[in-house]
Amino acid sequence: MNPVEKLVLGGVEFDSRLLVGTGKFASTDVMVKAIAASGAQLVTVALRRVNPERPSDDLLGPLTKLNITLVPNTSGARNAAEAIRAARLGRELSGSRFVKVEIHPNPHHLMPDAIETYEASKVLAREGFIVLPYMPADPVLAKRLEEVGCAAVMPLGSAIGTGHGMTTAEMIRLIIADSGVPVIVDAGLRAPSEAAAAMEMGCGAVLVNSAIAAAGDPVGMANAFAEAVKAGLAARRAGLMSRSTHAVATSPLTTFLA
Amino acid sequence: MKRNENSVTIPDDVDPGRWMDLARSASADDVRRALDCPMVGEADFAALLSPAAGGVLEELAQRARARTQAHFGRTIALYVPLYLSDYCSGGCTYCGFASDRGQARHRLEPDEILREFEAIAAMGFQEILLLTGERTPKADYPYVRDAVAEAARHFAAVTVEAFPMTTEEYRGLAAAGCVGVTLYQETYDPVPYERLHRWGPKRDYVQRLAAPARVLESGIRFAGLGALLGIADPIFDVLSLYRHALQLRRRFWQSGVSISFPRVCPQEGGYVPPHPVSDRFLAQIIFAFRIAMPDVPLSLSTREQAAFRDGMAGVGISKMSIASRTTVGGYQAHNASPDGQFHVSDDRDVASFCAALEAKGLEPVFKNWDKVFR
Repeated sequence: MNPVEKLVLGGVEFDSRLLVGTGKFASTDVMVKAIAASGAQLVTVALRRVNPERPSDDLLGPLTKLNITLVPNTSGARNAAEAIRAARLGRELSGSRFVKVEIHPNPHHLMPDAIETYEASKVLAREGFIVLPYMPADPVLAKRLEEVGCAAVMPLGSAIGTGHGMTTAEMIRLIIADSGVPVIVDAGLRAPSEAAAAMEMGCGAVLVNSAIAAAGDPVGMANAFAEAVKAGLAARRAGLMSRSTHAVATSPLTTFLA
Repeated sequence: MKRNENSVTIPDDVDPGRWMDLARSASADDVRRALDCPMVGEADFAALLSPAAGGVLEELAQRARARTQAHFGRTIALYVPLYLSDYCSGGCTYCGFASDRGQARHRLEPDEILREFEAIAAMGFQEILLLTGERTPKADYPYVRDAVAEAARHFAAVTVEAFPMTTEEYRGLAAAGCVGVTLYQETYDPVPYERLHRWGPKRDYVQRLAAPARVLESGIRFAGLGALLGIADPIFDVLSLYRHALQLRRRFWQSGVSISFPRVCPQEGGYVPPHPVSDRFLAQIIFAFRIAMPDVPLSLSTREQAAFRDGMAGVGISKMSIASRTTVGGYQAHNASPDGQFHVSDDRDVASFCAALEAKGLEPVFKNWDKVFR
């Protein structure tokens, strides 16, 4: 059997296909245990939750002690200029070249702004960041972001925190079909089965936060997602049988042909 | 339509008139529909305020908690208020700072403000709410703006609860580093509004009602809304508040609204609220808002008792103040005047409140913003 190919982002290789977010946890202790259970190597952290002045309130401090790659995100930015400033500050504080560009001008539904995301990604990729843009599930935008140097594209499955699953599955299929960079489904997943489905479909990875943090047992759920992502990838590699949408006709229609 | 003696009426896009009957007499089926529909609309919100919905309060609470957790996680954002001044030109019947109250007035001078900020920052807070009374020469726009600019050096998030300002003044606050402005309409019903606000600029109902739109127009990110529950018909006020929030969300898509639930309790300063709101009904109002607006920050202050606050934390409520003083200053030394604007019912310190949240499986969050987003 061939060794499982790794997830490659900006030239850096990762074994884990599960990225996790760090917001919404009941305590730092649970967050750290959930990250360990998830096996995630890439972990996102919001700059606005970085608070070195009060270590008990700071998400960055505990994360720097783990053997993971930090991905600061720009959550809170409502345009490209703010996201660029936040990305630079995030790099300074975390020492990581990775950035998740997250620009949601509407603080309620938190849907990403395609135009500002494109502008910020273009500048940050040029500055040497490994850019992971959170984006609407739009196949054209995905190619545009790839063209300006993003290391992956991160289309949403559904709105952040809703747990509605892969409501954008059709668009994500189109994105995967044409993408030259890994496609990472970000936001909206609720169940490990949905993560498995995303991997079977051809996603390079999935990013999960709320589904783990808001689960009855976040550590158990982190582990379940890790297993599901592995199962989905294994299924894709094994080759799913073709799906038949109708029964085979008993009276063939082509007997008149030679 | 309600019309006061000066012929002031509530604007159509806030007027709750058509939903009043439903809020008073929705059937069990109406409530069930509201709970089961994927997108809660105005009629559903009204039904959730009804006595029939009050009969299934536990189910409302379960929904509210699930929605709070999905959007805000198992966290409670913390903030602290600082009263800069208790000078006031207003004549609000229900308020401890009304201009006919005999108490000596104070305002913090720049050096005192600085010491208060340092003391508050040392308590760990990263979000501060600066308050004043109605506009007076002692506490005017430049005074508030300068305090915001200084606060922005000490805190990640600075918000203001003061008098209604012009759009230009709000732009000045935004430039100084203000991320949110809270302004309660007190009551949306123009008839009691006129009776309760006896003199001063606050008599202008329309001006005040339009202020949150000016806040968002100026580029400030959050407008905080609220009605002072108990001073008028709470059904009318809560429905209006909901419609006001809806209207602002539609109009200012790049901004946010947040909602607070100040309640006047009978024992305060001799004022007896004519429409007292019970704990159960206040909880129902908060659950209804959370179910109808799953992504809007809902805030509860230390006006409320510790047991009620602990019960509501994470069950609808996503944001809370703690260790509050409602006197002018008072954080850096205990030399503030004894008379606050309202009575602080939950007087726990930061550590014991955080311990109570943690015992409920909630993480207190002190910093949820960054100076880089100014």
